[in-house]
Amino acid sequence: MRSLVRHPFDHARRFKPLAQRVDAFGVMAMRRLAALVAVVALLVGLTACSTGQRVDLGGESSGNFIAAIAGEPDQLDPHKTSAYFSFEVLENVYDTLVEPDANLEMKPALAESWDVSPDQLTWTFHLRPGVTFHDGSPFTADDVVYSYRRIIDEQLTNVDKFSAVTDVTAPDPQTVVIRLKQPTPNLLTNIGGFKGMAIVQRRNVESGEIATRPIGTGPFSFSGQKSGDSITLNANPSYWGGPPKVSGVTFRFISEPTTALSALQAGEVDWTDSIPPQRVAQLRDDDSLNLAVTASNDYWYLALNEAREPWNDVRVRQAIAYGIDRDAIVTATSYGTAAANQLAIPEGNPWYTDYHRYGYDIEKAKTLLKEAGVTNTDLDMLVTNEYPETVTAAQVIADNLAPLGITVNIRTVDFATWLDEQNTGNFDMLMMGWLGNIDPDDFYYAQHHTGGTSNAQKFSDPAVDRLLDAGRVETNREARGQVYADAATRIADEVSYIYLYNPSVIQAWTTDVAGFESRRDGAVRFRTVELDQGRTQ
Amino acid sequence: MTRLVTHPIARFLARRLAYSAVVLFGVLIVVFALVHLVPGDPVRIALGTRYSPQAYEALRSASGLDKPIIQQFFSYIGSALTGDLGVSFRNGDPVTVILLERLPATVSLAVVGILIAMLIALPAGIWSALHEGRASDAIIRVASQFGVSVPDFWMGILLIALFATTLGWLPTSGYQPLLDNPGGWLRHIVLPALTVGLVAGAIMTRYVRSAVLEVASMGYVRTARSKGLSPRVVTFRHTVRNALIPVLTITGIQLATILGGVIVVEVVFAWPGLGRLVYNAVATRDYPVIQGAVLLIAALFLLINLIVDALYAVVDPRIRLS
Amino acid sequence: MTTAETNTRVSSWRLLLGNPVTVVSGAILAVIVIVALTANWIAPYGINDVNVPDALQGPSGAHWFGTDELGRDVFSRVLVATQASLRVAVISVVFAVVVGVTVGVVSGYRGGWLDTIFMRVVDVMFAFPVLLLALAVVAILGPGMTTTILAIGIVYTPIFARVARASTLSVRVEPYVSVSRSMGTGHLYILSRHIVPNIAGPLVVQTSLSLAFAILSEALLSFLGLGIQPPQPSLGRMIFDSQGFVTMAWWMAVFPGAAIFVTVLAFNLLGDGLRDVLDPKQRTMIEARRKQ
Repeated sequence: MRSLVRHPFDHARRFKPLAQRVDAFGVMAMRRLAALVAVVALLVGLTACSTGQRVDLGGESSGNFIAAIAGEPDQLDPHKTSAYFSFEVLENVYDTLVEPDANLEMKPALAESWDVSPDQLTWTFHLRPGVTFHDGSPFTADDVVYSYRRIIDEQLTNVDKFSAVTDVTAPDPQTVVIRLKQPTPNLLTNIGGFKGMAIVQRRNVESGEIATRPIGTGPFSFSGQKSGDSITLNANPSYWGGPPKVSGVTFRFISEPTTALSALQAGEVDWTDSIPPQRVAQLRDDDSLNLAVTASNDYWYLALNEAREPWNDVRVRQAIAYGIDRDAIVTATSYGTAAANQLAIPEGNPWYTDYHRYGYDIEKAKTLLKEAGVTNTDLDMLVTNEYPETVTAAQVIADNLAPLGITVNIRTVDFATWLDEQNTGNFDMLMMGWLGNIDPDDFYYAQHHTGGTSNAQKFSDPAVDRLLDAGRVETNREARGQVYADAATRIADEVSYIYLYNPSVIQAWTTDVAGFESRRDGAVRFRTVELDQGRTQ
Repeated sequence: MTRLVTHPIARFLARRLAYSAVVLFGVLIVVFALVHLVPGDPVRIALGTRYSPQAYEALRSASGLDKPIIQQFFSYIGSALTGDLGVSFRNGDPVTVILLERLPATVSLAVVGILIAMLIALPAGIWSALHEGRASDAIIRVASQFGVSVPDFWMGILLIALFATTLGWLPTSGYQPLLDNPGGWLRHIVLPALTVGLVAGAIMTRYVRSAVLEVASMGYVRTARSKGLSPRVVTFRHTVRNALIPVLTITGIQLATILGGVIVVEVVFAWPGLGRLVYNAVATRDYPVIQGAVLLIAALFLLINLIVDALYAVVDPRIRLS
Repeated sequence: MTTAETNTRVSSWRLLLGNPVTVVSGAILAVIVIVALTANWIAPYGINDVNVPDALQGPSGAHWFGTDELGRDVFSRVLVATQASLRVAVISVVFAVVVGVTVGVVSGYRGGWLDTIFMRVVDVMFAFPVLLLALAVVAILGPGMTTTILAIGIVYTPIFARVARASTLSVRVEPYVSVSRSMGTGHLYILSRHIVPNIAGPLVVQTSLSLAFAILSEALLSFLGLGIQPPQPSLGRMIFDSQGFVTMAWWMAVFPGAAIFVTVLAFNLLGDGLRDVLDPKQRTMIEARRKQ
């Protein structure tokens, strides 16, 4: 503000000597002063009247739950967004046919039950009766068909999940039939793993309002959004799972973790997942809040753009995998709350495979680079402020790779630009994370299959393709496990991604909050929370 | 009626108003041009990662972005004159509504900030001027330089660290409307307004001091003294009261300046005002919001300057006639 | 050079040096500039020597300003960042001076429609919320040191234009100028002999003050993520990064901020002292006081 002010000099010239009539001036000055006071009073009055609905901080109604999240959803269309912040909100607004429980096993949601044909190619879902959308219109099988067809026909973000689906029909309003071209053991996680496959309402989509005013069947309905500030949801009293115990949820966007944490400690918000990892150790001892640090299925990775030289040479990619100090990165970004991992699936997960080929070995890295004939080169690393861990890690990596003759140029952009750059292939290396994965297919297919929808690094390996395709149809649990172990090993050997670590889901809430459970898939569900005392905010 | 229309003040105001309108138009052109030069296609960004070419074209024409830029400009002006500043690309809300929602937060910050600044600058500047050349004057002058030189975001962060995080006396961020919760409003506004006010106060102290000094050296003050009035009476009645006019004009200017630069304080304190709105809108390429917000800030800026000039004109006939 | 001018010159220096505040701030600035210029040699550690096990250590014999969250030495980073700040400030102000003074002098000297147009443009720039203008320039051209320099340079050009124009105008109306013109003296000669020396005073003061604001502006833009990009250290960005650690590592916030503060303060105090000497009105007051 004052730092870029119009310079004092300019107005120094305006101070011309005043005229002679002293008393008249005094009177005029008084009148002017009165006028200024009036203007100030008017302005204060203006500020006192907040325009619009007082939706952001709960207003009068007690029982409004305030959650602080680390960023603002880019949009609210569940079929199109891929941002975690969007799904934190949409998790409470939409439903899928089935959904994961606390152990990540698929349970009924909008579908009460289902049958599978003996040849495993036809799944029949029996829908829950009496469910309505937030605007009162009834939920029927047609809505399921519309939603899935929309994803498939328009090739939306999660179309991959439906790659085995040949047909979706609604023989009657309570039944949906999905026909597959091959047995798909993970169909349930495909259609219900997260809200990217939510059931939407046709009218909401066709009016174009879905991106900004979504209408779903979930425990909360969308009430309003204040750009850059908050989104408010109201409780849905006719929710099929029983009405929520709070009157509504307000998601406040607080990108600075320290700010969010202080707001929590001061009681201004009830819940937050925007927590600086360096404070976790001290928070564990804090009795005024509940802290949950849960091992998650999320993972962070580096990807090298194989459409560009020299990154298309596997030896160069391996050199980088050997050249980074994974432990330092993990410490710097998570302060001991994350687990270093050279594959995607974390330890403790039933599909885990042990793999530790790439220790921190500079000599090996140098040898590989020499073999590949790469001496001094620049590397354009794309990171974003939206996820500060990428910026932190980038600095460690830049330091790691410098002795190898690789000069890392860190390009920090906003998330919208980051997505753009990723999709147009305008990068040498990027760092990002995938969240909320459940089935091993979620972890690997879209990212590493040739032409996969999330394969921005343009990795292509026929052996990996074969294994991933096989994993999709293998119904024998053990065999399937082996298939994915082999696939993951090959993916890491060929360095499609350089896996870094599995972060923990870190969430904290006040002692007034009951009924919230931290989930391994990071989904944030407020349908069962309640606030103990009546709140004044 | 004719007397009113030809009154010199009215004529002066009319001239200044016309002039401000021209400048505002210039600002609008510049904003429009700059905003459209920012790389990053808002349609592509709004649509996300996967979309069909038809969807792209549909959104593009719905937003009017497929028309030639001159046409877009004039249709923007046309609607702006009727109060329609378009709709936000992010959530479809009318820009006017968004701006009005965020205005109270910024205005309250600016007003409380300027009040704090006045509370500092008036006593300090007057004292400093009246004790000119002496030790306390030197101390105040150097102290005000300190205030001017401090980076405001740094001060904000340190204030938060001290009063909010460590001592826990005040909240770290956020805003509460006055009518909802006066206590909360006050608690939330203290630190950001202090950050704004301390720095503005430092700048204003120097102005107040020089204004009082000028008036004090004026002939009529000496005349008043020679009339036998006691020094103290002369001081307060004549010196201070007459220095009040330039002081009021400085206050107006500072208010305008604060409005223009309040972005960084709003970012540090997560204050839901116009500044943070612009900052976020730039990140998401929300053209209509950027244009509307900058226009509003510029208009407020010009309005305050206009009021300041008008005050001046009323007071000093020579300016009016120039 | 007339005798009067020579006399003025001599007593200017004496006035300047007689003011303790000015002398001290000048000395501090000299130290800062020397340190900044030699930063790359005197810095004890590399600016990007990541050393995670050593992270968040307080000030000590090994690390005078402590270490940051990646174990990097804060002192070394502050030194190099100060150098970057000064570089940005100097280049952008030079840009502003060159462009602004040219526009202002030409405008004031030629007058007419050229003057009107230039001044209208300057007015628009003044009406423009200035931080937003800088934000817009950086948003268009992408963040980084070059665009920061350009943005700050553009933003400070109007003030130099106005100062130069005002000084030019005040000289142009002097009788000896019109007399010279009627004698056939060339424009260039008049410009260099009469106008430029008259501008010099206010210009020097304005430069010092603008340097101060330029440093603040660069810190501001870096804080907002629009200026110098990591891993290049910048004082504003260091303060931004310190936010998450301010209660457990106060040195990460305090030292970079203090560096900005001290440098800006020194420029401001120096500018004040210069103004006391170079601005005629102030000058008379000071001289009068000295005579007492």
